[in-house]
Order: sequence, then structure tokens, then C-alpha cells
Amino acid sequence: MKIRLLVYFFRQAIQSLVRNGMVHAVGLGTMVVSLLIFGSFLLLFVNLSDWVEGWGENLTMSVYLEDGLDEKMKQAIMRHIQGLEGASVKEYISKERALEHLRAALGERSDLLESLSRNPLPASIEVIIRRHNPRRTDPAAIVKGIAALPGVSDVQYSEEWVNRFRNILEVVRLTGFIIGGLLGAGVIFIVTNTIKLGLYARQDEIEILKLVGATDWFVKIPFLMEGILQGLLSGFLANAILFVGYLILAARKTFFLGVAPIHFTFIPFDYALVILAVSAILGLIGSFIALGRFFNL
Amino acid sequence: MIQLFHVYKSFDANVALKDVNLKVREGEFVFVTGPSGAGKTTLLRLIFGAEKPTSGYILISGINLNRIRRLQLDLLRRKVGFVFQDFKLLPSKTVFENVALALEVSGHKPSFVRKKTRQALKAVGLAGKEEVYPLQLSGGEQQRVAIARAVVKDPILLLADEPTGNLDPELTQEIMVLFRSIHLSGTTVVVATHARELLEDTAQRTIFLEKGQVVGEK
Ligand SMILES: Nc1ncnc2c1ncn2[C@@H]1O[C@H](COP(=O)(O)OP(=O)(O)O)[C@@H](O)[C@H]1O
Ligand SMILES: [Mg+2]
Repeated sequence: MKIRLLVYFFRQAIQSLVRNGMVHAVGLGTMVVSLLIFGSFLLLFVNLSDWVEGWGENLTMSVYLEDGLDEKMKQAIMRHIQGLEGASVKEYISKERALEHLRAALGERSDLLESLSRNPLPASIEVIIRRHNPRRTDPAAIVKGIAALPGVSDVQYSEEWVNRFRNILEVVRLTGFIIGGLLGAGVIFIVTNTIKLGLYARQDEIEILKLVGATDWFVKIPFLMEGILQGLLSGFLANAILFVGYLILAARKTFFLGVAPIHFTFIPFDYALVILAVSAILGLIGSFIALGRFFNL
Repeated sequence: MIQLFHVYKSFDANVALKDVNLKVREGEFVFVTGPSGAGKTTLLRLIFGAEKPTSGYILISGINLNRIRRLQLDLLRRKVGFVFQDFKLLPSKTVFENVALALEVSGHKPSFVRKKTRQALKAVGLAGKEEVYPLQLSGGEQQRVAIARAVVKDPILLLADEPTGNLDPELTQEIMVLFRSIHLSGTTVVVATHARELLEDTAQRTIFLEKGQVVGEK
């Protein structure tokens, strides 16, 4: 396309934005709020998943061994564990050591143990799993793999609450998708109406353009640009406001379940870009719908 | 250039044109006349493709307007100037912008648009009024802006609907001189008018319309 035409279209789009300033401002405000709601969800989701994965990081596992294992099998199990990504053996706890630990834990009442004819405690290996890439490592799969090894009787790690949080995360994600979809439809609706108002305001001009030989696209492109601009602008504003909101939240020390000060992260840069791109596309779709309806009249 | 075959046009029960057959050759200058309500405007609008005939068909340069595609019609209109009875000027644009619009839609260079627009405004006697808005002008001046917009693109066909309806006799003569010079440059011209005095001292071909029918020709 000729640069001259592009400049013309762009100028028309900007003029229309300015001329219908009030309508656009209202539409823009509504769009920004919609995108903000969606963005907040995204922020919530990103942080929740970071925390959940963070808690699951450096997870310790106890691998309980069957009784009467020979040294060779024990070594084989250790080697397998060392071979796993991010896994290392913290220590081997023999049956005797386990009993000593128990004795120490019981303290004064350790004489209870004297009545035992044999040591009931299993030997175990304490494993630390450091996850360099928390989103990719699946602790449940590692546990399963170790538990299936010959000579291993049981593997324990505190996975239950991690899983519970994962479920919550799923709900948040799903809600986000639904809300995102609804808000997307809302944004399209807003753009459609804003552009339609602009179209009606310029009905005479469009009629005259057509009468002097303008093609449909010549008339339509400025309106499409207007829709994209409106989308981009609201996407940008939503990102900016979201970022300010994040800064405010991050500046406060937030405690969760009274445990640890929570570290906030902003949505990743590419997510912010996605918000921008999606809002631009929604703007384009909205103006496209408005034009379709208008030109069919 | 223009051919009409058994063209009928009705608006609901109101019949505006009845069995009109007409042929205008390339380079002709034709008047269409008749009393108010005879169907002159409707005839021009049909030729311009702004309306479709209820039945019959119209050929412009061999193109059947019944079958023409949207884009083809848009491109045809770049070569056809129309002076509307109600001017159809944009109040939010200056005189210059209104006229330039007819060239801008075809994607002409700004320098070319400026030059042609100035020329056209000068030809209709509106040099110096470029930056004025239409509503600041008299009816006659607005009419001349509409004429400038129609002729600025050097049309192959010029359709003018009551182009002198708001002009005093002196200006009317000037505009007719302008139309003649456009005609001399090779443009086919069709002027609709109910003003008999416009036709008195002319030997131009004149088509008489009455109640939607061609009732005579001179
Ligand atoms: N858009 C329209 N809707 C309904 N009736 C119309 C329309 N345009 C023209 N007419 C009717 O068609 C007839 C011819 O009108 P017109 O072509 O404007 O006549 P003229 O230009 O010769 O005065 C009139 O009776 C008018 O009322
Ligand atoms: Mg008329």
C-alpha cells in the first residue's frame, strides 16, 4: 500500500478518535476496566502458580527401604536417585540410626523401646529435589518412579497440600478463561458500539465519499485503524495500571497464612504483550463487526 | 456512452420513470428538462448508479449497471462527475477540502490534488474562498463548490442536476460557459433543469420529460 494512503488513513482515524472524544473516552474507560479485571486474574494466576511451585521447590523425600537389602541393591537405588534431574541424596539413615533418632525424640520415655525384640524401623534415604525449572519437573512422577524400584517399600513427601493448591490453581485458571472470554466479548461489544456511533456521526461524509468514487476499503480502513488504536490504547493503559497496582502490592509486606512474606512478581513481559495484542485484535474485530453491519444497511 | 432500455423506476406505488429509452453519444451535450417531479433527478441518479431501475437496463460505456460490481461502480464514479441538486457538501470541511476529496479518493499525489483543486475553484470563480466553510457561503457559491468538485477530476461524463438553480442570470451564464468548455475538452455532459430560460437560446439537444416519460426531443 502506498505510504500516502496509510498516512491519510491514519490521520482520518486519529481525527475521528479526537472528534468523538467523549464517546471514545467512555468506551476506552470501560475497556480498560475489562482488561484490568482480566489482567488482575492473570497476575493472581501467575503469582499463585509461582508460590505453589516455589513451595514445592527443594522438596525433601523419604525413601523407605525394605528390610534385609544388600549393599549392592542399596547402591543401585542411590545411583538411580542421583541420576534424576535435580535430585541428590542428603543422607542414608540405617535402621539403627532411625532407632537412635526415635530414642532421642522420645527422651525420658525411651525405655519403652527396650521391650522391642527387634528394630521395627525401616532404613531410609533422605532425598532433596531441587527443581531448576519448577514448571517442568513433576514431583509426582519422580515419586512414582522411585517407589517402583525394587527394594523400595514406600516414598513419602508432603505432596498433598501442593496438590490441593494445584487444584485451586486450576480453578483460578478456568475462571480466568471464562472471565477472559466474557470480557473479550464485552470489549468487542464496546468497540463495535463506539465505532458505530462514529459511523453514524459521519454518515454524510461516508455517503459523499462513496458518491465521489471511494472504494469500500478506502472508507473502512480508517475505522478499522480506529478500532485497533482504541484496543492498543486500552491495552496499554490496562498494563500500566496493572503495573502500578503491582508496585503498590509488592511494596507492602504481605503475609500468607501467617507464614512467610510473599514475594510478588509482575506478569511476564510476554503476557503483557499478549494483553496488548489481544486488545488490538479485539478492537479490530469490534470495528469489523460495526462496519459489516453498517455497510449492509 | 449512455444507453437506457425500457427503464422503469418506481418508489412503492409512485412511478418516477416509465419506459424510458435513451441514447447519449460520447461527447454529446444534452439537456433534460420538464416540470418539477417529472423524473429528471431520478434519471440522473439511475445513470450514476445511485439507484437501480425497477426494470429495464442501463449501459454506461458498455457496462450494464444492473450487473456492475461494487468496486467497478466505485471506479466508474471516479470518471463521472455529479453536481447534486442539494450540493452534498461536507460542512465540517473547507471549500478546498470538499473539492480535493474527489481526487483524494483515487489516491492522487497531494501536489497534483492541490494544483487541480485550485484550478477548479478558479474556474467556478471561487479563487480565494479555499479556506472558507460551505455554510459561510451563499447558496450560489455552494452550488459552485459542488460544480468544482464534479469537474475537478476531468470526468468523461458530467451529470448536473439543476446546477444553476441558485444562481443569478449572470452566474448562470458563466457556469454554462464553464460546462461548454468542459464539453469541448471531450466530456459528455447531461444537464437536468426545469429552467426554460436556460434552453431558449440554445441549439443543444434537449429531452423533455413529463410524468416519468420522454414526451419529446429537440
Ligand atoms: N427516493 C424517493 N422516494 C420516493 N419517491 C421518490 C423518490 N425520488 C423521487 N421520487 C418521486 O419520483 C418522482 C420524480 O421525482 P424527481 O426525479 O425528483 O423529479 P424532478 O427531479 O424532475 O423534479 C416524484 O414524484 C418524486 O416524488
Ligand atoms: Mg430534481
